[in-house]
Amino acid sequence: MKENEPDIILSIKDVYKSFPGVVALNNVSIEIGRGTVHGIVGENGAGKSTLMKILSGVYTKESGTIIFDEKKIKDITPIQSLHMGLSIIYQEFNLVNSMSVGENIFLGRFKEMDGMRGTHAKAGELLENISSSIDTKQMVSELSVSEKQMVEIAKALSFNSKLIIMDEPSSSLTADELKRLTQLIHQLKEKGISIIYISHKLDEIFDLCDVVTVMRDGNVIDTKPVCEITRSEMIQKMVGRSIENEYPERPHCVGETIMEVRSINTRKLHNISFELKKGEILGLVGLVGAGRTEIVRAIFGADKAKGHQVILNGEPIRIKKPADAKKAGIGLVPEDRKLQGLVLNFPVQTNIIMASLKKPTRFGFINKSAAKEIAKRQVDNLNIKTPSIATQVVSLSGGNQQKCIVGRWLEISPRILILDEPTRGIDVGAKYEIYLLMKKVVENGGSIIMISSELPEVLNMSNRVLTICDGRITGEFNPENTSAHEIMDKAIG
Amino acid sequence: MNMGTKIKKILLEYLVLVFIVILVIVTAIAEPKFMTSANLNNILRQFGPLSFVALGMTFVIIGGYIDLSVVGIMSLVTVVTVSLIDVTGQVVALIAGIVMGAAMGLFNGLLLLAGGANTQAKALFITYGMSMLYGAAALIFTAGGTLHMSWLTTPQTVFAAIGSGNIGFISVSFVVFLVCLIVLHTFLSATHQGMAIRIAGGNKMAGELSGVPVNRSLVLIYMLSGLMAAIGAIVLFSRTTMANPAAGKGYELNAILAVVLGGTSLKGGYGNVLRTVLGVLLVTLMANCLDLLSVTTYYQTVFKGSILVMAIWLDNRNKQQGGE
Amino acid sequence: MDNIKTRGQKIIKAIIKQKAVVAVLVLLILMIFPDTNFYSSYNLINVFRSISVLEIIGFGVTLTIIAGGVDLSVGGMVSLSGILVIKLMDYMPMVYAILCGMLVGAIIGVINGFLTVHQKTEPFIITLGIGMLLKGVSLVLSNAHPISCANPVFVEISNGLLFNSVPYLVIYMLVLLAATHFVLRYTKFGRNCYAIGGDYNVAAYSGINVVSTKWMTFVISGVLAALAGILLASSMNTGSPNYGDSIPLLVCCGVVVGGVSFSGGVGGAFQSFFGLLVLQLLSNCMNMIGIGAYVQHAIQGIVIVAIIWMDCFADKRKREAV
Repeated sequence: MKENEPDIILSIKDVYKSFPGVVALNNVSIEIGRGTVHGIVGENGAGKSTLMKILSGVYTKESGTIIFDEKKIKDITPIQSLHMGLSIIYQEFNLVNSMSVGENIFLGRFKEMDGMRGTHAKAGELLENISSSIDTKQMVSELSVSEKQMVEIAKALSFNSKLIIMDEPSSSLTADELKRLTQLIHQLKEKGISIIYISHKLDEIFDLCDVVTVMRDGNVIDTKPVCEITRSEMIQKMVGRSIENEYPERPHCVGETIMEVRSINTRKLHNISFELKKGEILGLVGLVGAGRTEIVRAIFGADKAKGHQVILNGEPIRIKKPADAKKAGIGLVPEDRKLQGLVLNFPVQTNIIMASLKKPTRFGFINKSAAKEIAKRQVDNLNIKTPSIATQVVSLSGGNQQKCIVGRWLEISPRILILDEPTRGIDVGAKYEIYLLMKKVVENGGSIIMISSELPEVLNMSNRVLTICDGRITGEFNPENTSAHEIMDKAIG
Repeated sequence: MNMGTKIKKILLEYLVLVFIVILVIVTAIAEPKFMTSANLNNILRQFGPLSFVALGMTFVIIGGYIDLSVVGIMSLVTVVTVSLIDVTGQVVALIAGIVMGAAMGLFNGLLLLAGGANTQAKALFITYGMSMLYGAAALIFTAGGTLHMSWLTTPQTVFAAIGSGNIGFISVSFVVFLVCLIVLHTFLSATHQGMAIRIAGGNKMAGELSGVPVNRSLVLIYMLSGLMAAIGAIVLFSRTTMANPAAGKGYELNAILAVVLGGTSLKGGYGNVLRTVLGVLLVTLMANCLDLLSVTTYYQTVFKGSILVMAIWLDNRNKQQGGE
Repeated sequence: MDNIKTRGQKIIKAIIKQKAVVAVLVLLILMIFPDTNFYSSYNLINVFRSISVLEIIGFGVTLTIIAGGVDLSVGGMVSLSGILVIKLMDYMPMVYAILCGMLVGAIIGVINGFLTVHQKTEPFIITLGIGMLLKGVSLVLSNAHPISCANPVFVEISNGLLFNSVPYLVIYMLVLLAATHFVLRYTKFGRNCYAIGGDYNVAAYSGINVVSTKWMTFVISGVLAALAGILLASSMNTGSPNYGDSIPLLVCCGVVVGGVSFSGGVGGAFQSFFGLLVLQLLSNCMNMIGIGAYVQHAIQGIVIVAIIWMDCFADKRKREAV
């Protein structure tokens, strides 16, 4: 009987997508039923956002079939996807902050809407339908996150969307706002609209979703009705993986405390305090946006955070800018190596000696051969593959670029080395080399703070792990006797 | 790499040299008067003030910014220095003029730093405003009139030397130029701070996160620009023996043109002072050649404008393909 | 009662937000006190006459800035169009000459758009270069002399009086003000400009043709600058290559005062109008009080620096908020 057979609104079959060095989607297949709320869970890098970007037309798939509302989708643009009835609400929102709510909803459709008056009238109607009292003439920049979400939903409805994808919708909502969103989602469901709900908040998945798909490393691990899976099973599927010899033996050089961080408080962070021990690798685990990078930037003096204390070897030190941190023996390998780490058009040599310019300098002049020496030494030690030290660093592979930045900091023999996503976008071989480097650093008495979105990496290399969630430290673990499951749990919150 | 490809690479890098050679050959053929010693001397002399200003501008551009205030700085330094000659004697006046230029540049740099100007566009407008201010100050100072150095009572041997004196075959101003060139080139390419300036222009954030003194670099490049503009102004009025409160007119665009034609990129981080010298040479040669060919100054402006646009356009295309 | 009160408060709040309007009001009030001819109809009409040319240019530049670019070639264009049209009138009827002038403006706009939008070059410096080029052409055409026009009708275009008191020039400006406002607020093209300037990528994703819209803003700016140059030449009965010298940067500062932001997506016709009005009024008031021309220049410089600096500083605070 037709009633028992759920209609499929979206059929994804064997979709494959890769980027240089990494397979993002490995023949993924999912079916979304009409009028259902379908959750998708997975760690950072599981492939969720790549899949969504293919659906919404931002990326193109390399192979596989996608059928939406019984029409095959091939190489569509974002606006075509919208007109077909497939909307996506990104975590950062796709709104023009300097324009009004009404105009954002009908962006690019001014004429069809009868000008300003028609735009605001229709926009007001749409918002009313979802029980929102936002003034359509207000500027989007003045709205709260929850209100912006409402605007995006209204936008989706204005296209008569049959499927709305929500990417981490609840990450900045209060409990009340979440309740409203939940009600709204039920409303939409009743109208026959399907929702793909991507979230780390497993509680919400259980509350809202009918079906859930677990993804990991670009694969679909399982798709099950929510009532047939437990939280524990879900986490297990998210993190469970076979680990071959991807990691060197974990170093055990932990000594006494050398650094204390007290009370970092900013708009995003709440009362962050922790210790770092000599010879320790401390891992910071958390979701994207949890605040891990903000913590290390505050310590390093890269953000103008005030009021916190950094105590090294018992002495409080003032770090107001990165140069101060460098003087205190702290180094930072930033998250985005292309934007924040390297001067792309400059030679390898310059990129390596950047942090240690004072070394080959006598009376203000840089001794060219001493500078070359330093660069050559790091290239040799770190096995950086480059035609010469004069080659522009932009032509090196990701792994070798990263090694240049690491080498830059190793040159100052840092007491504390902070690595923010050190192996992102790097091939397996180079990753191993970086792990070995980390091991060498701590074996020589240095300490490492490591931020990584790859859970296995953090779990296999760290001596201790702090879970960060919503700007707070939610747990402290020894990864050698705690399960990935437990740690992930605390990171998700 | 064999000799052939090596040469080709150098030629592409220093395209300006190619143009200079072509220009020289074409003009020498079309107008034999070009190769006379009188004309060559003329060229060397015209080289003067612009080359100093362009040297200073090079630093600002490599550092990732731009300086339109050189016009105003030149004007104000001119009138104040000349006015001081009778009051304090020429040596003090000379030093005061140079210090003044550096101070005005320093002020510009501090102003931009305090305001958090992080783009060339913001620097463009603020330095333009400062130029108006400095230029207006010059006009107020002299009430719009021009001071003739011949009216002064104090002997001006130093300035006369700068203006038209010679050391052996070479003019004093050229010697001063060479000294500045060597000092600045060494500074930019061989010192710690010079490297810091280049890194700040290449990727400010990466520099800052590596502890490179990017803020200090910002202030320094403007101070240098002001200093060089002052020297350029002094060379100019030493030659014309007149303190014109509108002395700096046109120098900013010509300086930028020289820097860009020399091959230094407007995006920052890439380039050097030697290139700018070639750029100034090209600009001066163009003027000279076009003069000889009886092309009016006005057509020259059109020519210069077109070249500037094309140079910027090509520079942008180049960086887009290479920089990623 | 309460309704009226809160409504009044709302209106006052909105007005205060428009700092240019406030500045104009302040200046107008201050000028009541010293004993000058400021409030004579002669002076007021003169003020409007002198700002009309700038305003017309300003409308075009505002458009380009809202869409995320900027057009600094307007100075050269102003000089060139006046001279070009006067010269062309020796060969063709006045109307055709004027149309040619505006056509040149459009062509330059196409070139500017190509370089900036299609080739993605930094707009401010390359349009500055184009401006230099245009000034050069105007120098060539006029041999660096101001050239006057023999045709008596030409002068009437700007200086003819409506109702025997208001110059046509001012009328054109007011019409263009209304037109610009209408386009910006009520047409698809105008709203798309705001979207593109506000967030280029979001606009592109929403199906807006970002390239051709942004390109078009340069064409319009070119045409308006050409028109302004023609009207200026008409009002002075002379074309001069020096007219455009300080125009581009002055106009940009004026529109920033009025509330346009260089990051794009913000601003409006009336806002720019008042912004430029403030700067010109300031100049006029200083004239009335008898402040010397050079001191005025200095004050203009200080005002420009102060305004842009404050804009930068606000940007800095936003960037570094932690």
